[in-house]
Amino acid sequence: MSNISFDGYAPTWCPGCGDWGIRVGIKSALEQLEFDPSTIGISFDIGCSGNMNDFINGYATHGLHGRSIPTAVGMKCANHQMKTIVIGGDGGIYGEGGNHFLHACRGNHDITVIVHDNMVYGLTTGQVAPTAKKGYKSKSTPQGIIEVPVNPLALAITQGATFVSQGFAGDARSLIEIIKAAITHQGFSLVNILQPCVTFNKINTYQYYLKHTYKLPKEHKSSDKKEALAKSMEVQEEKFPIGILYQEKKPVYHECIPQLEGPLSKRKRFTDFEPFTSSFV
Amino acid sequence: MTSGLVFSKIATRSGYHIFDYTEYPSLIRGGHNTYEVLVSDDEVHGPKWDIDLLVCLNKATFDLHQYRLTDKSMLIYDPEMFEPDGSYVKVPIGFTKIKKEQKIDQMMVNTIAIGASVAMLGGNLSVFESIIQQQFDKKGKEVIDFNLQLAKIGFDEATKNDIQKLEILKKKDVAKTKMVVTGNEAFSLGTMAADCRYYAAYPMTPASTVLGVLAAWQYKNKMIVRHPEDELSVINSALGASYAGVRSAVGTSGGGFALMSEALSYAGIAEIPIVVFLAMRSGPATGMPTWTEQGDLLFAVHAGHGEFPKIVLTPGDPEEMIALTIKAFDLADIYQTPVLIVSDKFLSESHKAVIKEEVDKQMNEHVIDRGKIVADTNASPYLRYKHEEDGISEMLIPGKKGVFYQANSYEHIEDSHTTESGEERIKQVQKRNAKTNTYLKNHFELPKVFGELKDAKTVLVSYGSNKGPILDALTMLDSSVAFIHFTHVYPLPQEPIKKLFERCAGKRIIHIETNSHGQFAQLLRMQTGINLKEQLLKYDGRPFWPEEIRDYVLGKKAQTVEKKPTDQEVKSAAKDKRNTKETISQQEKDLLNKLKVFSKDTK
Repeated sequence: MSNISFDGYAPTWCPGCGDWGIRVGIKSALEQLEFDPSTIGISFDIGCSGNMNDFINGYATHGLHGRSIPTAVGMKCANHQMKTIVIGGDGGIYGEGGNHFLHACRGNHDITVIVHDNMVYGLTTGQVAPTAKKGYKSKSTPQGIIEVPVNPLALAITQGATFVSQGFAGDARSLIEIIKAAITHQGFSLVNILQPCVTFNKINTYQYYLKHTYKLPKEHKSSDKKEALAKSMEVQEEKFPIGILYQEKKPVYHECIPQLEGPLSKRKRFTDFEPFTSSFV
Repeated sequence: MTSGLVFSKIATRSGYHIFDYTEYPSLIRGGHNTYEVLVSDDEVHGPKWDIDLLVCLNKATFDLHQYRLTDKSMLIYDPEMFEPDGSYVKVPIGFTKIKKEQKIDQMMVNTIAIGASVAMLGGNLSVFESIIQQQFDKKGKEVIDFNLQLAKIGFDEATKNDIQKLEILKKKDVAKTKMVVTGNEAFSLGTMAADCRYYAAYPMTPASTVLGVLAAWQYKNKMIVRHPEDELSVINSALGASYAGVRSAVGTSGGGFALMSEALSYAGIAEIPIVVFLAMRSGPATGMPTWTEQGDLLFAVHAGHGEFPKIVLTPGDPEEMIALTIKAFDLADIYQTPVLIVSDKFLSESHKAVIKEEVDKQMNEHVIDRGKIVADTNASPYLRYKHEEDGISEMLIPGKKGVFYQANSYEHIEDSHTTESGEERIKQVQKRNAKTNTYLKNHFELPKVFGELKDAKTVLVSYGSNKGPILDALTMLDSSVAFIHFTHVYPLPQEPIKKLFERCAGKRIIHIETNSHGQFAQLLRMQTGINLKEQLLKYDGRPFWPEEIRDYVLGKKAQTVEKKPTDQEVKSAAKDKRNTKETISQQEKDLLNKLKVFSKDTK
């Protein structure tokens, strides 16, 4: 075992917040896979979720709201041997960074994106998130949100993600297994984690999720894209499958860059400039 | 290779210096496009007003450029299209006739025109032939031979008339090998020489050709070159790559740069090196995308919220572009902060001849300086943001066992954890601010002075791409005019700059810029208190003509405004047939008919 621990500062989240369970899930998964803080790259988004930057140790960036995915993509390009994960919220990943999310799915970048999905913006005191149910009332939508919710699972499946899963912050045991599978997966993996915000979301509570979630049965064929897509659409009936909806094996982004041999950060400097300069003569 | 570039290379391979300049509308096909090449025994840095040889492939070319012709101007034109009015040296070439005989398209007429131009300028056809052979090497012998034939037809057509040939392109026996490069290509060469390993960009004129050049090179030089979904992804991915240990850069124009400005601020506080290439065009918003302007200087200097150190460089020509690009990567690493290279359409897309052995020397002899960026550390505990007098802490490339840290966009303490402590905040602010003084002490370069300040009665002050036209203007003026050229525009040290301007006391000082706000003058005033009052500003999307600067200094009516065609004349001369109602409906009909046939065929 490593002599450095994943434990950073004591979390400042509200008592009972789903983030506590998610942190246990991430930390346990990393430990069980025998990572330590110097062997993992983490790109944190901004928000209550991203505040985990001080509570979980690693080679990390805590950048801008919505931009944690591009940052991770760059980290991975520069050192593809470093396992790289993204930790963010529904606002940063599906709202402000929604464009990056769908393009990272397309690229099958070898990163794991862990999203805290609590349907509200906690750190800015409770405005609606893009995953909130239509009609959800919040500080920014007093009469209820007009838009229909983003469907992250369906979006990921249709845009080319090669691992799409959903967990629940109230079920740490299965969450650990899902995160382990996501991190082990080669390619773009999404772990959407349903999570109560005990302070600002009085609808999507632990009780709500216990009632509306169910574990994907063993017979679920995660290699079947159509079946996975059907499962992802159940959110419209307020049913939330927990587990791995979809998984396939495809070449990952960095494997498709022919000039990339060892890690970019470690190769020797290129100095044979003559063919380039002489092309301008 | 465009025909204009082929012509430039014929000139450099014949032993001459060149400068070329293109104008084109923001369209893919059509519109009035021009390519002008100035050929000279000595180094040249800008375009020239009087046209010696005008190649007219249509009448509009003559109409639109007539006002830059003199009695001595030579005119290549097609008598089947029009007969030019006025006294010029007329060289009729039957383009239309040859086109029909040879069954060639309009693009190939260019080859004939170049052949004819080479003949009229006293050049050697073999120089053109060797370029054709290289250019079409991959397309096989048949294509090469056909193009050689067209070149010869043009050359012979022009030769057989009895008009006195010029000696502008007469091949020289001894000459140093020259490269023909644009500012963008110079930047690309600089990034390679500087060991940049990750370049990302979203296409935007006039920065796009950097992306094209580097993308094509990447399989050989092993750089990773990406075109992500937007500029936000562009710069944030580059910051991720930079954090992970590789030199990274991004390129864009004003609009894309605006999108990147939040990330600059992140790079500032998290102390991540990044080189940003900003090729300006006429703004605001979409503005005039294919035209030049220095309208983003103050924006570049101030981009990013909050206070953080930043270095802004403004190279004036391709040679300076290579040198300053290489330097920019060192500075970004040494100061662990954003470094901006500011270009504009004029510099980015104009070709200039540069001496190859000088470029080679610069690229090959550069020793990379990564400052305090290390792959290993003895520090225990390792403190990413350790307080240091020079403001610069050791930056560990992630990977060392037993260590971890974060690049934190929140204010942080030395070990990189987030803080809101007032005391710690002050220390980190002061640490970051200290970098500016360290830079001014160690790496700032004073502006270059051309001419003798001591003897000068008039001093021109400028920066960036104006260098070219100003230098060429100096050759038309006497020694009473000197020129101060800034390449390191931000930050500026107050005392040394004041001392420099004290030497200009009592002289006429004119600052020259291609924008309407006099942005550099504002920047100079802000940083040093020096107030330049007389200004020569231009903001019509065109670069300065050396003659324009000369005439202004001499207090003469500018030659360059004398005979300019009116707006109406430009419109009617360049009138695009596609814009008439009849052509539009014809185009629509044609397309619908084609679709009908197409759908029948695929049934």
